[in-house]
Amino acid sequence: MAEKINALFRKILIVAFSLIVACISSGYSTRTVSKVDGAGSVVDFQHDLDDYVPAKKKYNFYFTYKIVHPWWDAVALGMEDAQKKYLEKGIIITYEYMAPDAASYEDQTKKLLQAQEEDYDVIGVDVADEEKISPIIDEMVASGSKVMTFSSSDASPDCKRIAYVGNTHNYQDGADLTEALCEKLGYKGKVGILVGSFGAPCHEDRAKGAKDTIAKYKDMEIVAVEYDMDSIDKAYELAVKMLNDNPDIAGFVCCNMSNPVGAARAVLELESKAVIVGMDHDQEALNYLKDGVIYCLGVQDCYSIGFDTLQVAVKIADGNLPGDLFPDKTDENTTIVYQEEAAPILEILYGDVSQ
Amino acid sequence: MRSRKITEKAVSITAAIGSVLIMVMVIANTYWASKQAISSTNQAVSAVSAFYLESMADRRARTITNLINNNFDYMKKAVSVIDDEKIESQDDLRVAIGKIKSLLSLNRFALVDEDNIVYTQYTTYTGGSRHPFLANATLDDKMISTVFLYGSSKELCLAIPINVKIIGKQFKACFVQININDIVELLAFDDQESTHFALYSTNGGNISETELGQLIGTQNIFDATRQNISEEKWDSFRDDFANNKRGTLTFTINDVVETICYEPVPDTGWELVVMIRESVIQDQIREISEKNLSANYMQIVFLLVVVSLFSAVLFYMLRRVANDKLDEEKENSKVFRSMANTDSMTGVRNKHAYLETEAQLNNRIREGTIDKLALVVCDINGLKYVNDTKGHAAGDRLIKDASALICDHFNHGSVYRTGGDEFAVLLLEKGYDTRDEVITAFNRQVEENIKKNEVVVSIGYSTLQPVDEQLYDVFERADHMMYERKKELKSMGARTREFDDSKPQ
Repeated sequence: MAEKINALFRKILIVAFSLIVACISSGYSTRTVSKVDGAGSVVDFQHDLDDYVPAKKKYNFYFTYKIVHPWWDAVALGMEDAQKKYLEKGIIITYEYMAPDAASYEDQTKKLLQAQEEDYDVIGVDVADEEKISPIIDEMVASGSKVMTFSSSDASPDCKRIAYVGNTHNYQDGADLTEALCEKLGYKGKVGILVGSFGAPCHEDRAKGAKDTIAKYKDMEIVAVEYDMDSIDKAYELAVKMLNDNPDIAGFVCCNMSNPVGAARAVLELESKAVIVGMDHDQEALNYLKDGVIYCLGVQDCYSIGFDTLQVAVKIADGNLPGDLFPDKTDENTTIVYQEEAAPILEILYGDVSQ
Repeated sequence: MRSRKITEKAVSITAAIGSVLIMVMVIANTYWASKQAISSTNQAVSAVSAFYLESMADRRARTITNLINNNFDYMKKAVSVIDDEKIESQDDLRVAIGKIKSLLSLNRFALVDEDNIVYTQYTTYTGGSRHPFLANATLDDKMISTVFLYGSSKELCLAIPINVKIIGKQFKACFVQININDIVELLAFDDQESTHFALYSTNGGNISETELGQLIGTQNIFDATRQNISEEKWDSFRDDFANNKRGTLTFTINDVVETICYEPVPDTGWELVVMIRESVIQDQIREISEKNLSANYMQIVFLLVVVSLFSAVLFYMLRRVANDKLDEEKENSKVFRSMANTDSMTGVRNKHAYLETEAQLNNRIREGTIDKLALVVCDINGLKYVNDTKGHAAGDRLIKDASALICDHFNHGSVYRTGGDEFAVLLLEKGYDTRDEVITAFNRQVEENIKKNEVVVSIGYSTLQPVDEQLYDVFERADHMMYERKKELKSMGARTREFDDSKPQ
């Protein structure tokens, strides 16, 4: 009973937030690749398995992702939800979900090669470095492994991975966030870009989208582009350096979940007026958004990424290929949220237990 | 000082006013008593509520503490069991973890190796960023934390450091996660919906998502109460939460008085808050009191009706009694009058009655409304002689015999004993018409009685004449005639006073 009330309460919050999004969507819907329609929501926690009937009763997967970080913990929760729902249908799914403490294509390569030696039904990769990892994936597929990519970074376009589940519009996400920043700044001023991990497709694509957008406006200038390697502390240090080097910096474009937090800490510390736009749902970042330190955040639906990844993995394990059962790329939404949406999102994602 | 006469009306008005005053006092007293009962009950409810809440909060906080301690014990035993089992692969480890998890009915039971890799029944994952207790490189002691990650269910995480080696890996921690909804169900087990309770974090956030009454609901408790208590109280309330202190707080929202009691749950950072809405109890008490008051009103109305009916009956009965008494008085008066007008020895009317009748007849004579009237004057012969010679008893018998003789003959007349041996008979109507025959027969009887030595009565009579002004005129003539007759009877041998006096025996 209490769980039902809990779920109902959460649904109501989601619906309420969806309505808010719907109300303001006309203002930014054209800025996102994945258009936020009126019924869209930031995070969709209500998932059911599709009608596909798995061929086996037991599956064992291996997933590796870029770095130990709360963003991928959110993806893990979606996977666990799917795993429980399969279990309710009598299908046991076991999996490993591993990442290094620091983003590293070497570590990812090592993990993939080790996984290849084990008897996993499917190996999933959140590509740490498109250039380095794509060939590894190709070799694994060539040797008979079923490999898929997931989360926010796909492999290179010619990679032989079987399918991808996650963000397919990172470039556009970067462009949309930057467009919002430019509009806020009146299309003039200096901007610093914090990219994230070097070579990570999602971060690089967003940074490219940001650069291309700023290039459209003659009165705007990019004064620094730095890689924080998904480290909040590193992002903070880089933002402080940028502000010291360019005290008149008017804005920051932050391309991952860590760097808006680092940039916000720096802006607060140096009492800068710089406007920050960034990615995702870090609790500290959402609090900065609520307090007006961060202007907007592009929140990806990690839960759905995790849930759909497991569903696609089951189908791939059964020998299916992209087609009617699942697409080559299963796209997930990104929603740009502003100050007024921060409180309900915080409530949905974290409650206020640890504020 | 002159005393005034108390009238019947004054008595009635005084009685009515007194009754109304008594009734008003009874009603007022009943109403006041009801109000006092409500007030006293409310005070008692407040006192009992506070005690009840404190007890309930304490009991529930201890329930959570026991749950936590039990789970810490279970974890130690579970790790010991796993350590003793022959685990050679990750699959074996998953099976063992699954058994423990099922046995303990836990949402999550897991082991953590030295690389912060978390091993659960179905998944193995790098958990450094997911679990707060892994923030530090080592876990020195048991750790309790609340987790609510990215929309997942809120859970209580209990972790203990361990030191076991399984499948070639060194394990450093074991943890369980208990869904807070399960804790809520455990706490609500004996609740019977009589109170509201919720678990709060130190910043006032509702962890349990249970409604603390309709007004606070699932809001942050500080936000919900801020406008309803003084700033000083509110700051103290927040300080208590921040410092894990217990306490009570009474506040008013929308004119509804609420009392809450909060109790820290040791080591969790939680405050368990229970609330009972006094207004609920007060409403119930008020309802009961109003029922009582209504019953009292009914009783008063019933009493009034009964008193009215009783008064009516009483009045009727008093009236009946008074009438009966009046009738009795009349009857008595009649009897007394009858007694006053009757000769006790003979039963005929006495001289008093004769005088009354004489007065009435005199009026009629003066008015000329009567014309047929005859008066017979009778005198017993020889009474003195009998009294003197045979005693008064014989004399009395003689009087009675004479009376009987007169009454037998003048049965259509009114007989009066006007003296010791004197009678008078008034003849009206039929008596008047038959007077001659009756008098003749009477005299004949008397004459025979002389021979038989029985009662002898001398009579004389006269009728009303136009010249008569009063009855006495008639009487005089009749009396005169009676003396003549007495002489005549004497000559026949009847005893007379004169005779007796002249010839003493």
